[in-house]
Amino acid sequence: MRWGIILLLLSGLSILPGAKAGLNETLPTSVETGGGPLIYWTGGVSTVEEVRKAGVVELAVPAAEVAAWQKSGLRIHGVGETDLANHRPVAVPKLAGRGNVASATRRPWIDANGWVFTKYPAGKFIYDELPAGKSGLAAAEAYAYGVNALLKVAREDLEMAARTINDLRRLPVARLPIVADFTVVDNNSPQIDEVLNLLTRRNLLYRIVPAPVASYPINIRLGTKEYPEADAADPSAFAQTIRVKIGDENRSLRVYGSEIIIARLTGDGARGRVHLLNYSGRQAEGLRIRVRGNYRSGTLAALGFGKENLEETLVTKGVYEGTIPKMGTYAVIDLR
Amino acid sequence: MERRTFVKLLSSTPLAPALASGAEAAEIPRYRTVTSHRPAVVPGMPGPYPGTVISVKSARSLSPDGLKVDGEVVREMMERGMRSLTGANRTVDAWKQFFNRDDVVGIKVNAGGRPWVVSTPEIVVECVRNLMAIGIRPEQIYIFERFEDQMDEINYAQYLPPAAAGVNIFSAERANQRYSNANYDPSVYVEADFFGEDDTRSNMITLISRKLTKIINIPNMKDHGATGVTGCLKNIAYGGFSNVARTHYRGTSHTLSFVGTLAAVEPIRSRTVLQIMDGLRGVWHAGPFASTLKYVFFPRTIMFGTDPVAIDRLLIDIIDEERKRQGAISIWDRNEKTLDFMNGKKRDDDPNVNIIIREPGHVEFAAKLGLGVADITKISLREIEL
Repeated sequence: MRWGIILLLLSGLSILPGAKAGLNETLPTSVETGGGPLIYWTGGVSTVEEVRKAGVVELAVPAAEVAAWQKSGLRIHGVGETDLANHRPVAVPKLAGRGNVASATRRPWIDANGWVFTKYPAGKFIYDELPAGKSGLAAAEAYAYGVNALLKVAREDLEMAARTINDLRRLPVARLPIVADFTVVDNNSPQIDEVLNLLTRRNLLYRIVPAPVASYPINIRLGTKEYPEADAADPSAFAQTIRVKIGDENRSLRVYGSEIIIARLTGDGARGRVHLLNYSGRQAEGLRIRVRGNYRSGTLAALGFGKENLEETLVTKGVYEGTIPKMGTYAVIDLR
Repeated sequence: MERRTFVKLLSSTPLAPALASGAEAAEIPRYRTVTSHRPAVVPGMPGPYPGTVISVKSARSLSPDGLKVDGEVVREMMERGMRSLTGANRTVDAWKQFFNRDDVVGIKVNAGGRPWVVSTPEIVVECVRNLMAIGIRPEQIYIFERFEDQMDEINYAQYLPPAAAGVNIFSAERANQRYSNANYDPSVYVEADFFGEDDTRSNMITLISRKLTKIINIPNMKDHGATGVTGCLKNIAYGGFSNVARTHYRGTSHTLSFVGTLAAVEPIRSRTVLQIMDGLRGVWHAGPFASTLKYVFFPRTIMFGTDPVAIDRLLIDIIDEERKRQGAISIWDRNEKTLDFMNGKKRDDDPNVNIIIREPGHVEFAAKLGLGVADITKISLREIEL
């Protein structure tokens, strides 16, 4: 039997080895963090002890149940039916076996939502009916892109979801603009979504714009002579073409040691933040990142592994490299 | 961290072999090698004996059915081979030409052909015994390979004598599934984009770059679906770096240039000082694997040298001649009609099916990088039969 739990995520949170929120620990509220995770629980107020035991500190419930939950001591938010219907459904984040689909490389398929979040940064989303074991990645994914998302998780995932949300909230808030190496003009063509998906999958950093921006060396507008719509029919090949145009050396962010990590980079020149999402379902060891920018130090926080410095750091003119010893579902690196 | 970085760029295709017909070799990718290690005065490859190969054969090394190894005969083959290579009168002096008591020595085994064609434990034990005989402590010796699950199946530790307790068994990764990059050196790598993969770096095993001072390379005599043969060069190159399987995909192989390119990276080139090709058993098709005896043959031979290219050049003929004897297409065959790149089972069932166009030319390519002698007319082969 599945109980509905909905987590509303926001931007900017923290990570320590995932303990439950202690009685004396006051985590930032979703309002304080500018959006933030809420847990929407359709199991009814009779399950309050189960919810508390899981470490949940903030919860969304059907609007009609708000009054019943007010005495729970939890932070309660009501979600009306209309509001719920306005949340855009997103995919279960996972490594996806698609053996019947030819791929251009050995790279496994990943079901990820980064492109949707990038396209609709102010949107509301819902991870509907997440299977057991996926709530942590879903929470981290929405957090990494700084969007509000509702997660409907399996009952056995309640504790994992709460722990992840709490850990994310312990992160220092860093509202930084996205870093992009090129732009994509959203022409609302049928192909554009899959192009965005593959660009995200390949860790090619883009900004979605209504019209080309002169300050970017590459502006992709499908349907032009330079980027005919036919070229986007194979979005994987199209993404590779864009990658070659940029040149790996010029890319703001590279990830080595895995083909199953999706990364996001934000920064303002003085500070940078790298979000790393691990879709493999297993621990990643020895992952290496390369970030362009004048950064001198990096602080790593890997969900479940705590806060530490990057290893084997290398600072050369305009490039910062470092190794993440271990990470699970999610890690964030703050660069200065 | 500031460090000196030597970057070598290899571009265009001047070393691509002329091809008579069939599928052309893929264009040589642009390689970027990053290492702070300088070459030794005399790099281990090709070492002090370029172009020289000692081949020791004994029918008694294996039981008549080929399944059991005679350790005493192997010891005799090893002693004769090492003395013949070096010209030393005593075996211990032969080993002293390559190692001293301060060395930290890695023995690069090949475990991929388990269970039938791996670096024979009796040969590995002989290496350990001889290293200890010149004063190297067991703790200074590492038997290593990339994948732990393969090493566990062989379990070299069970073959070591009590005096060798303390010899290290090391694997860089748990399995061939890219679980971990933690045992690879982030500062020594070759970068290349073969098929648009995201991870474009192949990093050297940290044990090699930061701990070992010398390496003994013990490959097997094996066919390989992508390289044609897998011998000295591929065992140390693809066995010493991460993320190498990316070079062959859907019928196309970049092994032609990448095997030698990796083997030439310092410090692996300088530290690999001795090549012992284990040819007691071999694989003539469907290599590098040998999960059944179907394609296993029994050369009952061990080859010695410091030149990996010369040994591998001879290996090409050994494998190709065995394939010819078995009625199989040549490893040089580039006919696309033999190619069924999505069908590993068919390749396993039929020795006239390839899943990739093989690139035995990688041996000649390595020669042009200075790793040894590929010209068969310039290779000095001394054959000993016991």
